[in-house]
Amino acid sequence: MNIDEIFDNTSFTIDREPHIVVNYEICTGCDNRGCVNSCPARCYTWSDEDQKMTFVHDGCLECGTCYVVCHRDAFTRWRYPRGGFGVAYRMT
Amino acid sequence: MSKIYQAIVVGAGPAGSSAALVMARAGLDVALVERGVFPGEKNMFGGVLHRLPSLEELFPDFWDRAALGRHIVKKGVTFMTGDSSFTTTIESGNFDKTPFNGYSIFRPRFDNWLAQEAVKSGATLITRATVEDLVYKNGKLAGVSIVGRTGELLAPIVIAADGVLSFIAKKAGLRQPIFNPAQMAVGVKALIDMPREMIDDRFGLVREQGFANEFVGCTAGVRGGGFLYTNYDSLSVGLVFHLASLRVSGKTPYDLLNAFMEQPQLAKMISGGKLQEYSAHLIPEGGYDMIPELVGDGILVAGDAAALCNATGLNLEGINLASQSGVLAGKAVIEAHQNKDFSKQGLSLYKKLMEESYVLKDLKLYRKAPHMLHNDRIYNEYPELMCSFMEYIYRIDGAPKENLSKLFLKSAKEKVGLGNLLADGFSAWRAL
Repeated sequence: MNIDEIFDNTSFTIDREPHIVVNYEICTGCDNRGCVNSCPARCYTWSDEDQKMTFVHDGCLECGTCYVVCHRDAFTRWRYPRGGFGVAYRMT
Repeated sequence: MSKIYQAIVVGAGPAGSSAALVMARAGLDVALVERGVFPGEKNMFGGVLHRLPSLEELFPDFWDRAALGRHIVKKGVTFMTGDSSFTTTIESGNFDKTPFNGYSIFRPRFDNWLAQEAVKSGATLITRATVEDLVYKNGKLAGVSIVGRTGELLAPIVIAADGVLSFIAKKAGLRQPIFNPAQMAVGVKALIDMPREMIDDRFGLVREQGFANEFVGCTAGVRGGGFLYTNYDSLSVGLVFHLASLRVSGKTPYDLLNAFMEQPQLAKMISGGKLQEYSAHLIPEGGYDMIPELVGDGILVAGDAAALCNATGLNLEGINLASQSGVLAGKAVIEAHQNKDFSKQGLSLYKKLMEESYVLKDLKLYRKAPHMLHNDRIYNEYPELMCSFMEYIYRIDGAPKENLSKLFLKSAKEKVGLGNLLADGFSAWRAL
């Protein structure tokens, strides 16, 4: 199976305003960055070259994995999306 | 403009809707607040819905009315390696008789159905509402505010049934401010469409019968396991990982799920299916020691928010505990309204009822299970040992035979170490 296909099948109503805001400076100084591999939705990308974290909230499954694995409290904001936005499961 | 209720329930999952239902039936004016477009929209799980004694009491015909899937008549456990697997299954005539022992369900359907039952009993369901904060007036809890909405929902009592991360319990100071990844697991799941006849033929099922299987050894050394179960015309296939172990592994949940689905025996089970939906959710797996304060002034915590999940390695219980805790929380609120006392003391009936119920009794009994399951050998060496030993037993190729018990000890010594085997056996015996 093609991995990208996995993500394409889930439905979202994307809010322009992100429900999670990451302070990338903290990520740059982090010795762990467990969020990058642990996030089931591939929302976190670390660039070795630029020494920079990127977070995209669009495909977030709102599971909370990053909230729990981040031991540096790098979140300026971590809340669930505004009512009616975010992931929409149909049959799980 | 603010609206006044007699109780506010945050989260229309199994805990919240059960609580709202009980309170509404007793005539209380209840707001059931849900962040999804409909209840269940944000919810997923990887398992079987077991008996719900508390709801069966409320609806004598519960199992005829609820939105359910197949009833599980066959349960299996598979020890898996890269290309081998050793499975034991139990299929029982008793599992095929009502009341059934368990069902496969879709959360967006089941949770919505339960919430609508609360509405029929008089609860007010408010969807698309993410709770932002608790509201205090004159030093007392007075309600909640909603993200992006003006006005507040007011009530002298709030039930936090807002799920595993429970920001409500955090704001009320009832749960640990920082979670320990060793007490959490993440589950990922693929829903795979498959024609009903194909599922029936492939898994040996008739009528409404269903099959559920657990897997161990399928997580590339990360602590965790897999599951596969049948819905009417789809399969749910997924993995669960202990977060502390996943974090340090450097592996990703979706790559591991992909590898699981490509394991030769699993690939045969799902071949011909079509991927429909991918989902993920956290599971509070810390057991009894993870449970927060259940009661505060004007507030009760229920369901996943209270970490009510019993993971023994063989069964994974959560919805039943959630629903039971919701019903008991509802009962405590009814009493508090009778006595007009919403203090921690006035709501203490909840804690008492919880301690008397199977919820806290079972979690206390299996208190050591989470520690037992933090053992890497369970996820690597033991599945390999089982598969290689069984393969040896069945291999007949002219090589002279060895005494089986000697051989088992020999391979156990190689793969696990005899000291570890004894220690793990003792630990499992103590925990279960």
